[in-house]
Amino acid sequence: MSLADPKTLVEYTATLDCIHCGLCLRTCPTFQLTGNEASSPRGRIYLMRGVAEGQIAGDDPTYHDELEFCLVCRNCESVCPAGVRFGEMMEVARDRAANSVKRPWSEALARWIGFGLVLPNRALMRWSIDLLGFAQRSGLLRRVAPLFGARKDALLAFPAVPPKSERELLPIRTPARGEERGEVTVLEGCVMPEMFGRVNLATVETLSAIGFATRTCGSHACCGALHAHNGELDGARALAKNTIVAFEGLTSSDGVPLPVIVNSAGCGAHMKEYPRLLAEEPEWRARAQAFSKRVFDFSEFVAAHAPADWAPRVDPGTFGRVTYDDPCHLCHGQQIRKPPRELLKRVHGLQHVELPHSEQCCGSAGIYSMLRPSDSNAVFEPKLADLAETRADTLVTANPGCHMQWDMGLDRTGLDVRVVHLAEVLAEASRQARSTPTEPSKHEPAELATPRLHEPKAEVR
Amino acid sequence: MDAPWIAELRALLGPRGIVEDPTRLFPYEADGIVLLRRRPELVLLPRTTEQVSRALKILHRERVPVVARGAGTGLSGGATPVEGGVVVSLARMRDVLELDAVDRTARVQAGLVNIDLSLACSKHQLFYAPDPSSQQACTLGGNIAENSGGPHCFRYGNTTQHVLGLVIVLEDGTVLDLSEPRVDPLGYDLVGLFVGSEGMFGIATELVLKLLPKPATTETLLAIFESLDAACDATSDLIRARHEPSAIEILDKLTIQAVEASVYAAGYPKTAEAVLLLDIEGSEVEVANTVAGIEPLVRARGAIEVRTAKTELERKQLWAGRKGAFGAMGRIAPDLYVADVCVPRTKLRELVAHTTRIAREKNLKLATVFHAGDGNLHPNIAYDRRDADEVRRVLEAGDEIMHLCIEAGGSLSGEHGVGLEKMKAMEWLFTREDLATMCRVREAWDPDRRMNPGKLIPIRACLETKQAVFRPEHATGAAKARDER
Repeated sequence: MSLADPKTLVEYTATLDCIHCGLCLRTCPTFQLTGNEASSPRGRIYLMRGVAEGQIAGDDPTYHDELEFCLVCRNCESVCPAGVRFGEMMEVARDRAANSVKRPWSEALARWIGFGLVLPNRALMRWSIDLLGFAQRSGLLRRVAPLFGARKDALLAFPAVPPKSERELLPIRTPARGEERGEVTVLEGCVMPEMFGRVNLATVETLSAIGFATRTCGSHACCGALHAHNGELDGARALAKNTIVAFEGLTSSDGVPLPVIVNSAGCGAHMKEYPRLLAEEPEWRARAQAFSKRVFDFSEFVAAHAPADWAPRVDPGTFGRVTYDDPCHLCHGQQIRKPPRELLKRVHGLQHVELPHSEQCCGSAGIYSMLRPSDSNAVFEPKLADLAETRADTLVTANPGCHMQWDMGLDRTGLDVRVVHLAEVLAEASRQARSTPTEPSKHEPAELATPRLHEPKAEVR
Repeated sequence: MDAPWIAELRALLGPRGIVEDPTRLFPYEADGIVLLRRRPELVLLPRTTEQVSRALKILHRERVPVVARGAGTGLSGGATPVEGGVVVSLARMRDVLELDAVDRTARVQAGLVNIDLSLACSKHQLFYAPDPSSQQACTLGGNIAENSGGPHCFRYGNTTQHVLGLVIVLEDGTVLDLSEPRVDPLGYDLVGLFVGSEGMFGIATELVLKLLPKPATTETLLAIFESLDAACDATSDLIRARHEPSAIEILDKLTIQAVEASVYAAGYPKTAEAVLLLDIEGSEVEVANTVAGIEPLVRARGAIEVRTAKTELERKQLWAGRKGAFGAMGRIAPDLYVADVCVPRTKLRELVAHTTRIAREKNLKLATVFHAGDGNLHPNIAYDRRDADEVRRVLEAGDEIMHLCIEAGGSLSGEHGVGLEKMKAMEWLFTREDLATMCRVREAWDPDRRMNPGKLIPIRACLETKQAVFRPEHATGAAKARDER
């Protein structure tokens, strides 16, 4: 492997798509931080090309550091006129880099445990989070944290593990409220049920409120997104195949495969790209394509399928002023920007303000906040000032990584802003709409959504 | 390198203010023109004028050549490193220092990205007029070095018309403050002289720039043509008829196709041979009258469709498409040679015919965009720098285009500057006396010729200045032709 043709270490032909125009520079969080060309998308592509053309050694430590410094937020892809698929190039380069350098044993072990064992296995994940929760509550974490060196602070800042009652798995099947308009499956995810069980519940509740019955996929846990982003492409491919197989079995009564609703932007972006991931395996290509067509982000699906008479509403005191922070893998990875905003605007009584620079990365970037805590914090910092400017009471996100990053960041600074997933807002608004119908009518059962009386007035700046 | 002066720079700028690792230096070997490459010895990333000054003092003492760099988006090699030289990158100097909405001026650091100034003053209904196509990336300091233009410079003029003052660090580290008073310059207009000096007179670190009120109404008009010539003719027609758009741009078919395949797809019809893109600004009545006047004119020249943008979003998309054109060409080939020549507007059509012929003869892929209002033509030649023969043909084509342009009474550069790329062509356009005068001006600023050396003025011309040998009879044909006119 080490003597391999350097052109195989990166996606060489993709590096040629970059015409060096520089439009990506200003969007890149690590370039903003350093002003260093090598820490920009254009610079990293230049380095990759240098590796392929033999000007930089494949095991050059600086090259590897630049690969790992990148957050893979893919903001550059949103502005690239040449259509460079930077995220994909990074995944490949990181994967090959993983093969060409020897990691310290502790790191190799941690990766093996994390990627190989915990993420794909629901029981082990649960046990690990139990352990973390115990360590947090007993004060043990404080004692062992120094063993983790530079990652000590990140570990200590990790959000509190929720109580057992919030860590329930979803029911296998949840019926629609009122008349059933369709059936979907929901990806429960690996970390989601443990840290954000309430978001999974809210997802199902919202889908139910708009007339969709939901099913879950049994023991399936991990889609492999974190593996792919962190250069574990073999693991990612295996998990992709698992996922495809698991969801192929979920069909409607007449055999039509059900849509797969994903409330985690990183997972959704990755699952939509399975055909690319499995492109070299002809026997999987068609299955990957068929599967990826079934994948929808939660906001994408709800915005497209909510019935016209669905009228979510909240008491203005529930969330106060809300603002929405685009998860990178939703806006840049899936080019989904409008649906979450449309849905927030649809909630009567909600005051929505735009967050400046909402498409800039928050520094969470999957497990980046654990791997490079100080860089992650530096990327996050300007986001806080932007949030303060909105004077919002609630920050809405649509991805667990961002959710935790905001939780941790706000905790650190003491800013009194609540962080919720879009699904939590919509579920609560559906609930309040049911319990306090604006115009209760005798022939309408209370649990059915009430017709909206007038357009909510969202604040537009 | 571990000389004591490097340790001094390290101490001055801190670990993130200096790039020494050869791998990290590697991407600095080229700016926007990747054909010209050389790895710098060091890159400095100062944050303040003070740091630039102290760094330049050290480099002066050590006689190290210096190349300033903004975002590295220039297309003439202005920021290509030089042998044994250090690159001073302004990328971390990007603060808006003062913004006066009443005086309509802004004081900014030179590394601020062009668009960020317009965004910063947008809430006061002001904007910064020069808008190079790379404005999402290029720095204002770089704009000053190259005297950059942009689509809207047809109305507003190039960068030089928008610079009120500068703080410049000279080659020996002296700080020259030309930022006050902000009135017409007394004495020699040093600011005017500095703009467009391509990094050879010093490094501008702070800029005082003029802001303009946003026009009350802007209408964007897209005219679709079945021939490129017709679009050129229409441009001259509407200027002759004294309709004054603020920007007049033409995109040819290949460019349209590249843009439409990109994230900047603007809805230009892919089958059109050319589109004419106009911005018309002013009061509502003014704009309506101009649009009404332009429409029949462009139709008479054969426009098959004329549309105006219905919404602000559509308007922005039409312009984003134009501005993403350079990058979008990445879909056609790995590299792009962007020629930047200017001719009198009425000669546009003639020059287009020539460039098309040259590209055909040399078997090159040509896509052309024009700032038609300024007679500024960008014949973009797509190529692959790994193909030596193709590179040779591209460079030959570039030379031929420049020759033709000079013959047509035009200039070598509309906005990209001369840099390394067009240096030899300076001798085609200018006489020895012209170049000698430029050399003497340059030496007044930089006696050792250590700032961005080996650019803009052919070395031979400068050496001969030293010997004060002026032989006008040696001036090349083109220069003579110009003199005779």
